[in-house]
Amino acid sequence: MATDTKPKRGVGRALLAGVERIHETLDSYGLVPTVTNGIALLFVVWTLFPVYWMVSGSLRTRSDLLATPPKLVSTALTVGNYPELFAQRPAFYEFLFNSVVVTVGSTALAVLLGTAATYGFVNYEFPYDLGRFHLPFLVLTTRFLPPIVTVIPLYVIFDTANLLNTRLGLVLAYAAFNIPFVVWMLKGFFAELPDSIVEAAVLDGHTELGAFFKIVLPMVRPGLIAATIFTVINAWNELLFAVILTSNTEAQTLPVALATFKTAYAIQWELLTVAGTIAMAPVLLFAFLVREKLLRGFTMGAVR
Amino acid sequence: MSHYSETVGGGRYERVLLWVEDHLRWILTLPALAVLAAFFIYPVGRALVLSLYQFDTGGRQFVALENYVAILTAGAFWQSLWITAKFMFFAVSLEVGLGIAIAFVLNSKVRFRGLIQTIGLVPLVISPTVVALLWQLLYQNGGVLDSLVTPLTNGPVPWLSDPSIALYALVLPDVWQMTPLVTLIVLAGLQSVPDHVQEAAMMDGAGRMRRLVDVTLPYIKELVVLVLILRVIGTMRVFAKVFVLTRGGPAKSTEVISMAMYREAFSYGNYGRASTMALLLLLIALAITYAFATVSEVEF
Repeated sequence: MATDTKPKRGVGRALLAGVERIHETLDSYGLVPTVTNGIALLFVVWTLFPVYWMVSGSLRTRSDLLATPPKLVSTALTVGNYPELFAQRPAFYEFLFNSVVVTVGSTALAVLLGTAATYGFVNYEFPYDLGRFHLPFLVLTTRFLPPIVTVIPLYVIFDTANLLNTRLGLVLAYAAFNIPFVVWMLKGFFAELPDSIVEAAVLDGHTELGAFFKIVLPMVRPGLIAATIFTVINAWNELLFAVILTSNTEAQTLPVALATFKTAYAIQWELLTVAGTIAMAPVLLFAFLVREKLLRGFTMGAVR
Repeated sequence: MSHYSETVGGGRYERVLLWVEDHLRWILTLPALAVLAAFFIYPVGRALVLSLYQFDTGGRQFVALENYVAILTAGAFWQSLWITAKFMFFAVSLEVGLGIAIAFVLNSKVRFRGLIQTIGLVPLVISPTVVALLWQLLYQNGGVLDSLVTPLTNGPVPWLSDPSIALYALVLPDVWQMTPLVTLIVLAGLQSVPDHVQEAAMMDGAGRMRRLVDVTLPYIKELVVLVLILRVIGTMRVFAKVFVLTRGGPAKSTEVISMAMYREAFSYGNYGRASTMALLLLLIALAITYAFATVSEVEF
């Protein structure tokens, strides 16, 4: 611990000192719990209100939703907007289907290839120290490369490879973008496994491949689940690649449909809120079910 | 090389298995590397080639370095970089500042902390496209935000149609979505400070302020650098929010770099120019990466 008595200078420290003074003042009036709980409540309302507004909007009539001043709570709820969206824009069935296919396909591919590569580089020796060179490369690629950099040449490449406007094209592109992410989430898990595990399994009569599937994979299951969760969310939400590499209902996903929903006249908010809710609902439900893992995933790499 | 070469012999199946075992390291790693090469290295190489051509209705024409000269000497590229930098500055400082502040608040004795953390996940898992729509609805003329600010502004605010406001109207949804990321990461760091360390410092007679600086701060310093990096990178690639809310307008006031490249390629069909911009952006991204990698010890 530092021995000098004066705190060092710096913006951060000055800020902390300011916060500390406010804290002491509040403390002397016994107001600390009131203020902290108040701020927490404000944070909750600020975070949830926009979501509430869209979901409740999907259950209102247009005039009710766009009333001035806004009606925070509606008394005339209706589910009629939901069938209306699909009646007016039947393509939404296809957008939904494309989104599901692309998400599932790219997640499976990314997790499979990413897991195998991470295990390979962590556990085997390579000539010329390839492992040392490739693992950081695998990890760094997407974390720093802005996707717009690759998507423009990729459009030209897809054009010649007949991959434009196909679900397969999106599956491959999303898998490519998520592999480094999977590696980033998994490498800690694999590095923590003792080296002797595979050797012991081999002595027990497993093949090396068998040991990988039967012994190693179950041991890194938490990492696999976390990587899968994040890949699913990334793929379901992606817009840039989808909007550039697809052009009609053959392969367009929900985010593309949402981003190009506006007609030449006006936004049909009563229907757009339905579409938005449909795009949000699966990830929100999914996130709620795996919230512990998600929380750990977001803060992982940070705290471990 | 494998231990099996000697122990397993015989049939066809065994021979295949043997081959797999012997080449396992390559079988495991090469597919991923091949995909990455096809989707990262090859496109960058292709961009290098494309950047030497001019595209127009007649096809493409070799122009050597003309695209580079044109982009670097015209104002539009620098303008979009400047807009991106402004977006980055306001979004990142608000997200990191607010995020840390809220983390400290939640780390004190707050009720329902677990529930609040779960709620913090909500914006993070929603598609940026949907986030943009959430805010577009709030920005409606006479809508929720207008009615909130009416006492101050005497009337509706042209959030997305005034060139002097629109960029800030894009910052707000990003702050809404990403502040919880900072909060969750920093809060996890704060909660990893062991109680006994705090208590020991207290026994030593360290005041709250000293404990904060000498005990707590070292635990979160690295995390603050990490979220800073994550958000700098994240805001540099902002696209969906701009695409949905303003398409770079009004009067190009929100034309961030990715929007400018999108327009160059897909509105004007000039893949050469767009590829040139892509490569210049790649250089900038590499420079930022290098800068962060040298000043921080955060591992990615």
